[in-house]
Amino acid sequence: MMEPLARYRRALLIIVALVLVSPVFGVILAEMVGYHEPLDVAAELVGLPDKSEELNWTPFFDYTVPGLPDTVGYIVAGFIGIAAILALGAVLQRVAARR
Amino acid sequence: MHIPDGFLDPYMSAATYAAFLGYTAYSLRRIGGALDPSRASLVTVLAAGIFAAQMLNWPIPGGTSLHFVGGGLAGILLGPYLGFLAMFMVLLVQTLVFHDGGITALGANMLNMGIVAVLAGHYVYRGLRTRLGDFAAAFLGGWLSITLAGLAAGLEIGFSPSFGYYIDVTVPVMTMWHAVLGVIEGLATALIVVRVKAVLPEVMED
Repeated sequence: MMEPLARYRRALLIIVALVLVSPVFGVILAEMVGYHEPLDVAAELVGLPDKSEELNWTPFFDYTVPGLPDTVGYIVAGFIGIAAILALGAVLQRVAARR
Repeated sequence: MHIPDGFLDPYMSAATYAAFLGYTAYSLRRIGGALDPSRASLVTVLAAGIFAAQMLNWPIPGGTSLHFVGGGLAGILLGPYLGFLAMFMVLLVQTLVFHDGGITALGANMLNMGIVAVLAGHYVYRGLRTRLGDFAAAFLGGWLSITLAGLAAGLEIGFSPSFGYYIDVTVPVMTMWHAVLGVIEGLATALIVVRVKAVLPEVMED
């Protein structure tokens, strides 16, 4: 897993940088402008009920981490997500190596 | 773009899951021996990159905002099947770890961002790159990918018998906003494709 990924070291550094700056866009500016997407606009117009919080199962709901401020939590959540994807990638590597 | 729990009625949830699972089975068969360790690394890195890029919202003051989706980019760089696999990794983590996108809507979200967007990016780029060049073809692929994904989401949330039919509202709203904001997706896609082609030409899907 490590050797093939090492080929993309520069891309991985860019990904780390994206996660580090992500709270500026995903938390700070998003709160300043009252971030809402086209899906939110459509849902409000027709009254669709968002049941995410009622049905929630994860402590990292909406890229937050319990006990951490939203900005820091967003970064930590970003790294948790990247780690989860790399873990899935490791499974994919094993499958690919068996072929 | 991520449909949460509660927006789809059970019929639409079941139908979109069926489409998603059917395409998954078809993709796995088509991927076959194409998944060597080198391609698996590329799929993983692109999935991680798209996940990180999706965390950077584009906050537009006083207006409606969006974030990068990346389905078109995945389709251009990896093709319709490995691109789907990369988007599946992103959406699975977003749904299960962060509840960004509902578990009842994972089929719909995969249909929109992992199938419609990936196929649009892939075929538009392939069809136009010779005539228009890489940048313009990738721009149109990225733009159309998010616009069609928005249209698909509009159909899914509007076409729900249990909730009543709102297609006349949801489809225009979703399509129009994604067509406008999709210009940013198109530009980002084009810049990344041109850069990848310059520094890592071997990763481009044939």
